[in-house]
Amino acid sequence: MRLATDIGGTFTDLVYLDDETGRIGLAKASSTPPAFARGIMDALRKSGVAPESVDHFVHGTTVVINALTERKGAPTALVTTLGCRDVLAIGRGNRPDIYNLKFRKQEPFVPRRRRYEVTERMNYKGEVVTPLDLESLEAVIAQLRADGVGAVAVSVLHSYANPAHERQAAARLREALPGVNVTASSDLTREWREYERTSTAVLNAYVQPVASAYLNELAADLRAEGVTCRLNAMKSNGGTQTFEVLAEQPIHLVESGPVGGVIGAAAIGAAIGVPDLITLDIGGTTAKCTLIDGGAIKITTEYRIERDDRNAGYSIKAPVVDIVEIGAGGGSIAWIDQGGALKVGPKSAGAVPGPACYNRGGTQPTVTDANLIAGRINPGYFLGGEIDVSIDAARAAMEPVADAMGVSVEDAALGVIRIANANMINALKLVSVRRGYDPRDFALIAFGGGGPMHAAALAAELRVGKVIIPPAPGHFSAWGMLMTDPMQDFIQTAQTAADDANAAKAEAIFASLEREAVAFFEAAGADPAEVSIERFGDMRYAGQEHTVRVAFPGLLQTFADPVASFHGLHERAYTFRLDTPTEILNYHVVARIPTVKPAIAPVEAAGSGRPKGSRMVDFDGEGRLEAAIWERADLPLGTPVAGPAVIEEPASTTVIHPGQRVTLDRMGNLIIELAG
Amino acid sequence: MTTTQSGAALDPFTLEIIKESLNAIGDEMFVSLQRTSQSPIIYEVLDYCCGITDERGQLVAQGNGVGGFLGTMAFAVQSTIEKFGPAGLADGDIIVTNDPYSGGGTHLSDVSLVMPIFVEGDLVGFSANKAHWTEVGGKDPGSWTTDSVDIWQEGLQFPCVKLFNKGEPNQALLDMIEANVRTPDMTLGDVWAQVASCRLGGLRFRELCERHGTARVRTAIAALLDYGDAMTRIELAKLPKGVYEAEDWIDDDGVGKDPIYCRVKVTVTDDEFLCDFTGTAPQTRGPVNCTATGLDSAVRMVFKALTDPHLPANEGCFRALKIVCPEGTVFTAKRPAPVSTYWDSMIFAADLVWKAMAPHVPHRLAAGHFMSVCADVTFTIHPDTGKPAILVEPNAGGWGAGCDQDGEGGLVCLGDGETYILPIEVTEAVYGIQVDRYAFNTAPGGEGQFRGGPGLIRDYRILSDDGGFITSTFGRHKFLPFGIDKGNPGSMNAVEIIHADGSPNYLAGKTARYGLKKGDVARLITGTGGGWGDPRSRDRAAVLEDIRDGLVSLETAREVYGLTDRELAGLG
Repeated sequence: MRLATDIGGTFTDLVYLDDETGRIGLAKASSTPPAFARGIMDALRKSGVAPESVDHFVHGTTVVINALTERKGAPTALVTTLGCRDVLAIGRGNRPDIYNLKFRKQEPFVPRRRRYEVTERMNYKGEVVTPLDLESLEAVIAQLRADGVGAVAVSVLHSYANPAHERQAAARLREALPGVNVTASSDLTREWREYERTSTAVLNAYVQPVASAYLNELAADLRAEGVTCRLNAMKSNGGTQTFEVLAEQPIHLVESGPVGGVIGAAAIGAAIGVPDLITLDIGGTTAKCTLIDGGAIKITTEYRIERDDRNAGYSIKAPVVDIVEIGAGGGSIAWIDQGGALKVGPKSAGAVPGPACYNRGGTQPTVTDANLIAGRINPGYFLGGEIDVSIDAARAAMEPVADAMGVSVEDAALGVIRIANANMINALKLVSVRRGYDPRDFALIAFGGGGPMHAAALAAELRVGKVIIPPAPGHFSAWGMLMTDPMQDFIQTAQTAADDANAAKAEAIFASLEREAVAFFEAAGADPAEVSIERFGDMRYAGQEHTVRVAFPGLLQTFADPVASFHGLHERAYTFRLDTPTEILNYHVVARIPTVKPAIAPVEAAGSGRPKGSRMVDFDGEGRLEAAIWERADLPLGTPVAGPAVIEEPASTTVIHPGQRVTLDRMGNLIIELAG
Repeated sequence: MTTTQSGAALDPFTLEIIKESLNAIGDEMFVSLQRTSQSPIIYEVLDYCCGITDERGQLVAQGNGVGGFLGTMAFAVQSTIEKFGPAGLADGDIIVTNDPYSGGGTHLSDVSLVMPIFVEGDLVGFSANKAHWTEVGGKDPGSWTTDSVDIWQEGLQFPCVKLFNKGEPNQALLDMIEANVRTPDMTLGDVWAQVASCRLGGLRFRELCERHGTARVRTAIAALLDYGDAMTRIELAKLPKGVYEAEDWIDDDGVGKDPIYCRVKVTVTDDEFLCDFTGTAPQTRGPVNCTATGLDSAVRMVFKALTDPHLPANEGCFRALKIVCPEGTVFTAKRPAPVSTYWDSMIFAADLVWKAMAPHVPHRLAAGHFMSVCADVTFTIHPDTGKPAILVEPNAGGWGAGCDQDGEGGLVCLGDGETYILPIEVTEAVYGIQVDRYAFNTAPGGEGQFRGGPGLIRDYRILSDDGGFITSTFGRHKFLPFGIDKGNPGSMNAVEIIHADGSPNYLAGKTARYGLKKGDVARLITGTGGGWGDPRSRDRAAVLEDIRDGLVSLETAREVYGLTDRELAGLG
């Protein structure tokens, strides 16, 4: 039995997959902050799954991102190279909010008084310029004892090239300060750029006491309940890792929640032979998009939390699935600005008070209210009837918008949907067009509570030919976690000319990272023979900064193939190729333990094969039309149904526009085909 | 419904969507140029801007990463229209200009490309960009210098000429560029990046016209500009009416030693924001001059900050703004005045308006910041490769305190923006120097009820046996960032050379090719921002916190903030 749990703000989702039957089951319980483990136990009991039958457990958690955004981590200190105490606070010096002449910089996670310097120096080649001065370290230790910090980050210059000083200092700190969590930057990333690496180490140290306590408590509860298998959590890179490893490197959990859906999308794409996908996950507050190219998920190490168009954010140089997130979801609020223009989001009514139609105190009109007014949402079947929604409350909230724009409430609702869609289109373009991909070459896979409602209209605008709505789109993130493998990245900055004279040197770097990877998994209790390796190089033209990630399959004897693929990838991303020398900047080894994923049982046509009724639905440009209303389970297998139609299921609603056709496939996906 | 003289009716939602699409074009052009450029000054420092205008050259949307280019592209487009006229432009043409005196130029390094956009044979608008080329020729490597005395020493001039003719490149011109710049590969690489960005803007604009119809797009453009105007006037109405004046001195012109007097009189009425710089000193012999284009951008920056800093900029946002300045001043230099380090006088003009208005609009403006780009060119031979290494960069410094907040430390100046300072590790690997220190500058200055943010100290140690040199222009070396309401002025920007042979240190605001030997340290010092309010009224606990953080000395706490020994005992 494979089992995944995903904790959201409101609900804890549990999805399981029976290895023998291929059957998938769902359970849901209320989230129970701050004691999240209770929600998981509730969902586990509700599911009826025997704990001892679970042989594969994956957990998605928001504990790290919450501790960061709510500033609930431990008092943390930083130990760094002499002269570099302020690197963390200076950051990169940028001012994203260009014309704000009272710009506020985000506060560093370690105040200046707890940022300490030790005498030591490496150069960029990893050679010792000044040995680590132990006396200066002992002086810092005395200060740290007096400070009573809970965690210490160690980050010194050029530790990506030679981590010796950093490791030596970290070892001494651990020895001298029992009970204090110590993070060395080079244990998390071996990429250059001191601010980014230091920030990564600091954030890891800051959340470590909270995250390790959480993981330990959850493990104890699961064991008490009878779960005996290895416990894994979902990492931001799309793989999993054991609780024990992540208690040391919790920063890898920062995007633990959202990546499940992306992995699930790739798995569905592989199963139905659609390897090129744009994913769209619409929740209550945001829409998240990513691009899957030939089955490969884009990973970035340029990630920052709390970054937006006005704030520089905090750098985390840990591999993260490259997700673009914008403030457009079901709860996004429609409002009129001073100049009389209609805007939607980024403010959201969230789950509390929620859209006006929830009748829970929300009075501002949201995208969900607009969808209700337009007839796209069935008021009697919202969240499977769990929430009573009031169309009158939605209309009352929409009236001020209609008045301001001088149109009817119905037209105002359509306007709100159109503008929300335009915002989402921009996010979808950010992951595709802006990176050199033509959306017409991709299928759109939509999930989350709101994805299926908007997907078909967005696909038409982007001229995407096919939309996929997976089964249970509201639980898709947890489902995706069932499809993951244990995975760890090993990255090393080492600028190397891509010249065959350097092939042996480059091969040696890859081989060394591979040995590190195998030893890592062995230490985590895995069989070294099972470790599967992929090699990549971040390559660029000499003299340029921007890199593209190039696969390096097999033993490296010549650069001919990687250089050829580099030129192609560079041209796709940056529109041109040059006839100049190329180089590798970062060596990247992705190590995973491939696990056997059970085949998903084909769907049997069990429903009536007939719609449950019809109602008037406003399709905007296509008019207000009578649409067939289907219960998803009633759709005929393999036989197309023509739009206009609305397909309802407990946690989601799929809208099929006139001229579009939808087919239920054997895996339970809805496949929407667009005309032309 | 919105209609204009072109007559195409639009529902308010489609209008909003076209408006947002227009803004998105500027952003997409910006990202494209960043991703395709080969020079760090473009892709890291973001010293460029991109945008589209209507067929008359009015700015419709702009993507920018720095403050200093606000609206300058429109002038390049307008000079193109003036020179060629609509009849002289064809589909596929791309025009290049960097003329500082009339072509929308600033200094020769900032080169604009302008491309007319045609839909079904009609000229509907322009896409344009302007980018800092690392090399444009001239007497010194990197092209800008602190001691040029005329424009011909500063590089290659492009007097608004066609780089592409109906889609065909002008090979003669490209060959001229290749022969006249020191880094032809990088410069020509950036030309292609700029061309790609212009073409992308044209493509997106045509797609928008195909989707919605050209007439509707024109209607939306008119509405977008009107919207910019309306939103700006709402904020203008909130500003206090009156006449506000400020004066100040630019340190010197780089060639002579005399300070340069500058003044502004700002008149705020119900429907106009008038900045009159009459009385400002004449243009100078050295290259600190800026031209009318730079002055215009400068004032726009502060006007934007005063009205709506977050509204996407278009020509409509500046209809209420009026600038008066006689020809031939240091802000409105005429040919052939040298302009190679124009940026500090440009920002100085902005800083004057800022200084005049800050006491009266405290919710929008802080006290004075370190103001200068604090640019340096550090040249050496990389000890490991034996090749020349030229580091050209801006520096970050301290920002002023507000009426309700302490200033921030280590941020790039007003003329920069989403500009990234080079990491130490990258600097050392790429340029072969050692960075001994990169830290807050805790020298006294900027004390107040709210204190200014600290500047920075960045030490460059030369490792090459062949040594090197440093050219630098650190303004506000002699005249400090202004404080407000009894807040102290900030501290100075400076370059200090610490000689390995023990000879006395050399301290200056500007250096021109100052020689460095192995082991010498070039210390780049940026100033702390100005304070706001009387230091003696600062919250005692806040002073103690600053002492604990090592930002304020015990001496300053006693003498400037007036803490008693008893209060200081609170440090524990």
